[in-house]
Amino acid sequence: MFGNKTKESPVSKDMMTKQRRYEALVKALHADIFRYAVWLIRDRAIAEDVVQETFLRAWKSLDSLQDEGAAKSWLITILRRENARRFERKQFDLVDIDDVSVADPVAPSDGNIENRDLRRAIASLSEEYREPIVMQVLMGFSGDEIAEQLNLNKNTVMTRLFRARSQIKDILTKDNEAGVKVNG
Amino acid sequence: MDDITFRRTIYADPFTKDPEVIEAAKNDPKKQAFWDDIKQMEASLEQAMNIPVPEDLAEKLILNQSINRFQKHKKRQPWYLALAASVVLASVLSIGLINSSSGNLTNDVFAHMDHVAYEINKYGKTDIASVNNKLASYNGQVKEGMGDIVSANYCYLNSIKSLHLIIKGEQGLTSLFVVPSQLSKSVEQEFNNNVYTGSAFLLKSAKIIIVGENASQVALLKEKAKQLMSFSV
Repeated sequence: MFGNKTKESPVSKDMMTKQRRYEALVKALHADIFRYAVWLIRDRAIAEDVVQETFLRAWKSLDSLQDEGAAKSWLITILRRENARRFERKQFDLVDIDDVSVADPVAPSDGNIENRDLRRAIASLSEEYREPIVMQVLMGFSGDEIAEQLNLNKNTVMTRLFRARSQIKDILTKDNEAGVKVNG
Repeated sequence: MDDITFRRTIYADPFTKDPEVIEAAKNDPKKQAFWDDIKQMEASLEQAMNIPVPEDLAEKLILNQSINRFQKHKKRQPWYLALAASVVLASVLSIGLINSSSGNLTNDVFAHMDHVAYEINKYGKTDIASVNNKLASYNGQVKEGMGDIVSANYCYLNSIKSLHLIIKGEQGLTSLFVVPSQLSKSVEQEFNNNVYTGSAFLLKSAKIIIVGENASQVALLKEKAKQLMSFSV
């Protein structure tokens, strides 16, 4: 009666393959996705929650990911959508990070002053400049990929990248000047 | 190319391959200096963006997914559906158990060997304290002397949470899996395919499976594991 059940059923085999694909995806990309989330959200705890939601959703629709090479931008798309849902869900108890004085919301201090200043400068950019530059530098996306991800044309993206860098440079220069004044 | 266009292009993409930009920099040392300056800022920017990631995040994401799969059944439905669902779940599980008792872990172990490369690359160095920390969930510990443990991560062998150590030896990498013995399915004591050789044995509460491309290294690690690893029941 149970004779024909000794073979592994195709369903559980599929499940196993899915589990392995999922684990491979998590291991290969969780670090970059987490970093991206922190830069987008500017709060490590909230970013971690959103990353959890992102990977749960990724698990549910893993079958729709055909090309593993596209996994990174696929996950970023999910992450950005999950982050947007966060705003829909609880509009009232969100606190704008700009209003709160947090020592360093994006990373614990590593004693490197240059890192600290740069992190502050990046975090202080408005979202429209911050997202493209993080996509370019951290995620290694090309101008075309960023344009597709943000639903903008490429010229706009290149302009925003240019402005993002010049703003960072301005902030650092001002910091330096202020530093000289204080020290001098 | 005028100065403003040059700067704009570089600011938008410091690693641009635009031939006009390259040509302009070649002919003008000032432009080249500016470009070098921005490239340097770019390296710092990359370093600053590379913020630390919580150490256990990958494990959490994997565990969370399996917990969530089961909780989904519980939440939304009325109790009688939940009851029906658990009956179905129980039968599915028992069929699964009947099935699984006929197979063994060997294929799963081989499949995991393909992950070795990225596990090392993605996680970086580990140390004996962190390995012992992870072994503690299997009531086990290891003494110094196993060799260079380059990676220690949890993985699933046929949905059993196992610890996968990767040890670097003179002839390349060897993997050691720790599986709770009461959950473990059968594995032959010695097994192999055309790439890997494997060996499995019990250390009290843990089943140890050692796999690698080099048979003598597998044998050597087996002896070391027997001496240096201990598990309590």
